[in-house]
Amino acid sequence: MSTHTDRTSSTEATADRSYTPAPERQSERKFVDIRIKRRDRPGAEQRWEDFSVPYRPNLNIISCLMDIQKNPVTKDGAKTTPVVWDMNCLEQVCGICTMIVNGKVRQSCSALVDQLLKEKDPITLEPMTKFPNVRDLAVDRSRMFEHLKQVKAWIEIDGTHDLGAGPKMTQDEVAERYAYSRCMTCGCCLEACPQYDEDQYIGPQAIAQVRYQNMHPSGKMTRDERLEGIMGDDGITNCGNAQNCVRVCPMSIPLTKAIYEENRETILHGLFGWLKR
Amino acid sequence: MLRKLHQLSGIVPLGAFLLEHLYTNSKAAHPERGVADFNQAVADLQAIPYVLFIEITFIFIPLLYHAVYGLFITWETRPNNLSYPYPRNWFYTIQRITGIILFFFILFHLLNFRFGLIPGLNERAVAHYPNEAYEIVSREFQMLPILIIYIIGIASTVWHFANGIWLFLVDWGIVIGERAQRVTGYACIGFGVLLYVLWINVTFAFLRPGGLLGGLLY
Repeated sequence: MSTHTDRTSSTEATADRSYTPAPERQSERKFVDIRIKRRDRPGAEQRWEDFSVPYRPNLNIISCLMDIQKNPVTKDGAKTTPVVWDMNCLEQVCGICTMIVNGKVRQSCSALVDQLLKEKDPITLEPMTKFPNVRDLAVDRSRMFEHLKQVKAWIEIDGTHDLGAGPKMTQDEVAERYAYSRCMTCGCCLEACPQYDEDQYIGPQAIAQVRYQNMHPSGKMTRDERLEGIMGDDGITNCGNAQNCVRVCPMSIPLTKAIYEENRETILHGLFGWLKR
Repeated sequence: MLRKLHQLSGIVPLGAFLLEHLYTNSKAAHPERGVADFNQAVADLQAIPYVLFIEITFIFIPLLYHAVYGLFITWETRPNNLSYPYPRNWFYTIQRITGIILFFFILFHLLNFRFGLIPGLNERAVAHYPNEAYEIVSREFQMLPILIIYIIGIASTVWHFANGIWLFLVDWGIVIGERAQRVTGYACIGFGVLLYVLWINVTFAFLRPGGLLGGLLY
């Protein structure tokens, strides 16, 4: 917004007023109240703590957490420890700042306070529940990396000899694969899935990557290995079709399409695969 | 594998048997010949060669498997409908709730009518007394609590079956795309509504000739 208004003349700038919230509503609010579910160390009891940070327009949750970090005092004025959370890119492409904001899983960098206050006041922040909680809002999501290893979510390229450029893909395939390539391993789909739990179900994240790699002409060469990665006890059959994954995915990945395409692949592989041996 | 068999067993043989069950019951819906036709239908079923073997293989074993494994699946669930109140998420949870209702409803239904093992209520198995079949069922349905149990039980059955068809279609990779799933979903809802109307009609055929519709279609 700023670069645009800076370059325009003062008369034209008035036309851009719609970019900022109405001035009278800004002046009403001085503070934003935030309730945070905290944990001091792994295994310790969780507790709620209330904070109040100075309001300014267009705040996001990360900037509120930074304010708390600068001045770690609860709403009642008691001194406390700074809240721990993870962050990196601040533009919703790395996925690491994912947490439960107002009861729904999403990235805290793109969670805007002005919108959140319309949902709930005070705003609540909780760590994701499907991953081991390290401290406060930080979770250990290495489980998702294990999923990727389980399904061999990579493409074998040149070994001792050059495999060449590989066959061409159609535009449709390229477009579908591009959608799957956007996965940032944030864990929203697993958090919202009523079937996902440790070792119980591998979840949509890895299944979408199976689809992604198996659509690739070179990836197809090891297709069966990936299928077998999602055909175990924790595999694709545990999907309960609640379809929350596709609703909460911040990158709009067609996760359910991936699951159903792989349902067909695994069914055919399971029914007829053994007849080939 | 076990899960896929669970899904399959819900359609074949259990779903197929459910439709056969509706067909047989619907014999009672004829405004004049209802009683005789229904009793004859029960007698005909009992005349199937190797009836006990067929009943055990195609009904009791799949039913037991579907019920017990279904409870196991339900045990694993971590519902979150209040945080994520999307329609499909509700369908997911209701499928499990109706499953639990059905476990007890079908247990009661079998003990009461198939085996006649509930002392003080009914001790005559419908299957073994074809001549009294209509009368036994009618006597039960005249008790309001029993009738209510059946109206709820049938609603759960129809929901579980109609949604189950949809689940089978998507789980077996037959219906994949978003639009295709939406269209199939509406088709399943329509099928479920039709089944429920037919089944409630025939339930009331045991209370008055012709059922709720009063033999309108005859």
